[in-house]
Amino acid sequence: MTWGPLSLLVALPLLGAVAVAAIDARAERGLRAVGLAVMLLVFLLAAGIWLRFVPGTPALQFEERAAWVPAAGMTYHLGVDGLSVSLVALVAFLFPIALAASGEQVRDRVKPFVVTLLLLEAGLLGTFLAQDLVLFYVFWEAMLIPMYFLIALWGGPGRGPAAIKFFLYTMAGSVLMLLAIIAVYLQSGHLPGGPTFDLPSLLAHPLGFAGSAETLLFLAFAVAFAIKMPVWPLHTWLPNAYAEAPPVVTVLLAGLMAKAGAYGLLRFCLPLFPEASRAFGPLLSGLAVVGILYGGAIAWAQRDMRRLLAYGSMSHMGFILLGIFALDATAVQGSLIQMINHGVTTGALFIIAGLLLDRTGRARTDEYGGIAALVPALSAVTLIVVMSSLALPATNGFIGEFLILLGTFQARPAAAVVATLGIVVAVAYLLGFVGRVFHGPVREDLRGLSDLRPQEYALFVPLVLVIFWTGLYPQPLLDRSAATVNAVLGRISAAAQRRDAAAVTPPADGAAYRPAAAGPHARGSAGTGR
Amino acid sequence: MSWTDLGAIAPELTLTVTAFIVLLYDALATGPSLEAPRGRGTVWVSLLGVCVALALNAFPPADPVAFGGMYIRDHLTQVVTLAALLAAGLGVLLSSVYLERFRLPAGEYYALLLFSAVGAILMGASRNLVVLFLGLEILSFPLYTLSAFATRSRRSQEAGLKYLLLGAFATAFFVYGIALMYGATGTLDLLRLAQAPFTPLLGVGIALLTIGLGFEAALVPFHAWAPDVYEGAPMPATAFMSVVAKIGAFGGFLRVFPLALPSLANEWGAVLVAVAIATMIWGNVAALLQTNLKRLLAYSGIAHAGYLLIGIASPGPAGTLGVLYYLVVYTVMNLGAFGVLMLLERRGEEADELEDLAGLSTRAPWAAGILALCMVSLAGLPPTGGFIAKLYLFRAALEGRHTALAIVAVLTSVVSVYYYLRVAVAAFSGTVPDAVAVRRSGMVGVALVLAAAGVLWLGILPSTLTAFVQQAVQALR
Repeated sequence: MTWGPLSLLVALPLLGAVAVAAIDARAERGLRAVGLAVMLLVFLLAAGIWLRFVPGTPALQFEERAAWVPAAGMTYHLGVDGLSVSLVALVAFLFPIALAASGEQVRDRVKPFVVTLLLLEAGLLGTFLAQDLVLFYVFWEAMLIPMYFLIALWGGPGRGPAAIKFFLYTMAGSVLMLLAIIAVYLQSGHLPGGPTFDLPSLLAHPLGFAGSAETLLFLAFAVAFAIKMPVWPLHTWLPNAYAEAPPVVTVLLAGLMAKAGAYGLLRFCLPLFPEASRAFGPLLSGLAVVGILYGGAIAWAQRDMRRLLAYGSMSHMGFILLGIFALDATAVQGSLIQMINHGVTTGALFIIAGLLLDRTGRARTDEYGGIAALVPALSAVTLIVVMSSLALPATNGFIGEFLILLGTFQARPAAAVVATLGIVVAVAYLLGFVGRVFHGPVREDLRGLSDLRPQEYALFVPLVLVIFWTGLYPQPLLDRSAATVNAVLGRISAAAQRRDAAAVTPPADGAAYRPAAAGPHARGSAGTGR
Repeated sequence: MSWTDLGAIAPELTLTVTAFIVLLYDALATGPSLEAPRGRGTVWVSLLGVCVALALNAFPPADPVAFGGMYIRDHLTQVVTLAALLAAGLGVLLSSVYLERFRLPAGEYYALLLFSAVGAILMGASRNLVVLFLGLEILSFPLYTLSAFATRSRRSQEAGLKYLLLGAFATAFFVYGIALMYGATGTLDLLRLAQAPFTPLLGVGIALLTIGLGFEAALVPFHAWAPDVYEGAPMPATAFMSVVAKIGAFGGFLRVFPLALPSLANEWGAVLVAVAIATMIWGNVAALLQTNLKRLLAYSGIAHAGYLLIGIASPGPAGTLGVLYYLVVYTVMNLGAFGVLMLLERRGEEADELEDLAGLSTRAPWAAGILALCMVSLAGLPPTGGFIAKLYLFRAALEGRHTALAIVAVLTSVVSVYYYLRVAVAAFSGTVPDAVAVRRSGMVGVALVLAAAGVLWLGILPSTLTAFVQQAVQALR
């Protein structure tokens, strides 16, 4: 095979990590510079892929496929389609910003920090690119490890418990997904070509699950993704992890890792288990609405800046879940846009929180007051970001949430109506945040607070540009995802039609789950014969 | 016995001859002054022997069956041999600096280590219960001695005695089991055992045999010796023992259960599933409470024995494949983890407490990185060999319809992450304790790099070994 741009995309951060590891640990500026250069290179590559992506087709593009472990049906298969191309660009966009913002926050052990960050970037990019279930799982778990170390080694005072809680929670969900992945593989034994982990091959024919198998496997996948997002009530790891991680790491945690969960639902749960996705749609929509209101209400009551933003982020993720399980093209499109928006906006909010924490060391909103007069530039940026988070027209948040609610109104009107209240709650907690921190009487002990430095402008300019660009001209994003979204939803309605047809004439139970009889070894290395 | 028979056992023969050369060389170099020789001649001779054996292992004999059907050198034997030779080679490299520092007689040590590896290989190569017994004895007697090797350390003496007494007890069970099986079937040949009808006497024999092997593998409830012996034995002996005993025991399990007794799968399958579940839970939960690294790795070893048993309890090729792959991965990752600990020293003693690792990354960043990598692999996380190995075993469990077993296995791996990552984080945080010194050693460095490369290679490019192991499994069909 030939190495394409997607392999390069994963390999660049890994090579960068090796390069940084070889630099003397005392040359901190050099370390950061090399790390940043690698990340910018990755971004240029990802931007190139995004621009050259051909909209209007659900097919995978820039596809790369090679034998990995033929004997076990695993393939090295990368590709981007409408679901992932913009998310890949988002990953590549946020990493250099996070590293650049870390200058003040991470002062010791800079070298392992930069190395870990690069490993995390490779893991995240791979997660969005992998088209083989095991390959996906490898990246999915592999990104957990650097994230664990980022929290456990560079976090706040409660970092140890927060990091392990985060890890155990997410891993407990993932390992059950691993079993489900193996079960899907065994189930695919009757497909032409033998058992395989390759997603497009699995989707090429109906898998024919027997009885409750589809429900159980769907749940195993969905729980893993729901923990990562997180979906209420699986969110209890979130406040600790978000608040204890260094703010730049929280940017990645909330901005990117949460998206991996939502992406997983769209990439795996919906296409592999269309029947169960349909059956569980109302339940998950309900959980989404609960999450929106619950997250918003808790955020409203929070006085700790990062916990407030953490719960707010969870509330916004609820909208994304709502859009996905409306199973409506408009709503899913809105969810995909909102995934990008949430990454940019929440990322920006946590960067702002990080700046304030660095400058004052104060974590609580009521320890601030009236700093708008002292730091006009920072407060202007904050206002823009908050408006985007509140989904005001002309910002990106409006497009996303509007499309989600529009689509959901058609599919599940009740859920949409209640979810709309979430926007009101968001106004309450976000304006409360801005009011307590930036307005009111000026606190005398904050007189010395300095405004944005030139290099900090460089952080926010791209973020603000994306906020307005998506808000005013979202068409390129929508174009890229439309065909794939329709294809995924088409699978679900096709499955529903098949079921209705089968209800008339019950089929012979020939495709039941029977792994022992049709073991993978019977066919040897047929896994990649195609 | 003929020349072809000797050709079949060429790797074992090489190791045995090397061990004798090492002993003689040591004796001659020691001379009348009874001063332990200074140089590293014994190390190089041992390594050379291991390398020659590795090369010979790559060329299977024309006729795999030798010694009148008692011995077989097929693909399975080759994989077991590969694992045992890796254990021996890495064990020799890791031990050198430790033996010099504590002035232990290197010649005897390496000879015992090589003998023990021969025993493990023999267990995986047996087609007859007597050969299996011979292998078990050749494996375990050197291990008893190695545990008690630090003659000035009371802990080590205690460990050796404990291991010897309990081991002798377990061996008695094993022999009695063989005797009962012979009484029930009239044969010791594993192939003929496969055709024998089930009788209660045979069942008792199998149970006693399982106890003997389960002791060597440290399966619950026959695991009680492991933490004490691991803690007391000199660290390089612990490291070597932790892998080679598992290689031998599971080599034996593979010969006895899926191959010789497949018709009785229903009888022993349920028992093995129960033992595997108990072992995984006990090993992982007990490891949570440890602060001594040797004890922690002992319980981790128990837990891994439970994972390996999944492959035995799930009949069929997938289980065998999983066990063989796991043995190779376990060898490199466990020795890599021990190798980093070997570099530490607390006031002239072994530094085997969790807090001794503090700040390791500032003084030996590469060693700390390799320790973290090995811990990630032991926890079964990608992109390491530990993940692929567990993936194969979980697949075997699901294919054999042991869903509960698979669920317990994945959930206990989540538990295991807690204590493995605690070790890794300890190495990357905190400040260096004054009492702890970090040694530099080229040989340990080479071993660590090899182990780390192995862990990554088996995790990222698993196809080579998988294909080879697959051949081993298919040849058995």
